[in-house]
Amino acid sequence: MSAAIEVTDLRYRYHDGTEALRGVTLRVEPGECVALLGPNGSGKSTLLLHLNGLLPEETRPDGAVKVLGQPIVRQNLENIRRRVGLLFQDPDDQLFCPTVEEDVAFGPQQLGLDDAEIEARVRDALERVGLPGFGRRATHHLSHGEKRRVCLAGVLACEPSVLVLDEPTSDLDPRGRREFKALLRRIPATKLIATHDLELAVELCSRAIVLDHGLVVADGPTLDLLDDEPLMLEHGLERPHILRHRHPH
Amino acid sequence: MQNAEMAHAAASGQALPFCILHSAFCLMSALDHHHGGVASPVHRMPAALKLAMALGIIVGTVTVPWHFRGWFVGVAVVLALAAVLSRISPLFLLKRLLLLSPFVLGVALVNAFQPAAQGSWLVVAVRSGLCLLTVILVSNTTPFSKLLRVLTRLRVPGLLITTIALLHRYLFVLVDEAERMRRARLSRTFTRRRRARWQALATVVGQLFVRASERAERIYDAMCARGWK
Repeated sequence: MSAAIEVTDLRYRYHDGTEALRGVTLRVEPGECVALLGPNGSGKSTLLLHLNGLLPEETRPDGAVKVLGQPIVRQNLENIRRRVGLLFQDPDDQLFCPTVEEDVAFGPQQLGLDDAEIEARVRDALERVGLPGFGRRATHHLSHGEKRRVCLAGVLACEPSVLVLDEPTSDLDPRGRREFKALLRRIPATKLIATHDLELAVELCSRAIVLDHGLVVADGPTLDLLDDEPLMLEHGLERPHILRHRHPH
Repeated sequence: MQNAEMAHAAASGQALPFCILHSAFCLMSALDHHHGGVASPVHRMPAALKLAMALGIIVGTVTVPWHFRGWFVGVAVVLALAAVLSRISPLFLLKRLLLLSPFVLGVALVNAFQPAAQGSWLVVAVRSGLCLLTVILVSNTTPFSKLLRVLTRLRVPGLLITTIALLHRYLFVLVDEAERMRRARLSRTFTRRRRARWQALATVVGQLFVRASERAERIYDAMCARGWK
């Protein structure tokens, strides 16, 4: 069976010369939930944009990134975007429609579904994120937590098999974080979550990958990596408190 | 609240450039709707009907010759009736009208001082006042998304509708962003020198432009990620 995500020696340099990725290699199996850790500027977001074919601007036929066995090249870009749902870091970037229901319906509309099916998907997606009846609300009048959840509903409405999330719990209050984590846990898709929320990594992800300076510096079971204090400190992270209070017996 | 903030800014001797910037943003945020939760007969009217009536009133008011006074009186009565039925406070309508009228009043004023056009300033003021009131009433009793849906049904090109929808959506984000930048600037502004403040304003405006264009790129990415073609 082919991997859900397969990245081989991926390199990327921004126009201003910043080398964001310097040869990243990683593999995520179907159904896995993997945390992508690393300090600010380590290349996490850049890597995630590649998984949806949003970078590089000129698609190269080199097949450094494969999703569900398909290389990301221009010919199957549409197919890839249909199967990979990407949750952006800033909800205001993602919610570009005037009302919630229009925004959630955006993806299904692009898929060319009929109106009844679109409506059913919108209702279902809003229920899944715990916002039933929010359809008519204006997107710019929602709280940050609600915006996040509407973003997720917009992604879920496309029924992706791979979910890629960029710091899904940043800027959320503790309750919002807890609820969002519970929500993510219920989604059966393969998940790759870039995050600074180490508790989220411990609770949701069995495996973690640490990225720093555009390179994968560690890859293994989440608890083992997070428990390795020298490794964590070297790469701008820390051993989370929940591990400090855990007893080996 | 915004007005109070503005008055406070003026009273504390805040420099003119920031007052201008701030009023511009107040004007923009004033474009936000006022129909939260109200369900008057005017709010419930179909958006298409309201839009058609508004268009009729505006075209008529602009083109009907001035000596057909009956038209102008009629329009004024209809608008007054709509205003009462919509349960929007008259003070709110008056404020909006004043907010939008400086341009028109400017033209009327120029006319008033031209010897050849005796009394035409009144004509300009009445015509534009009625048109503005029509627009204010329609936009404050109809959610923006409904207006867009009417335009879609009228076969207005999709690209234009998308552009208008995005403009409306991100105006508020931009206003918030500018407001945050203004506050951040103010918290570190210690000089009373006017020149320095104008320079600071230029930086804020430039920075806002850069941020807006970068956000536009991220939005485009987000649209592509959900299958935009």
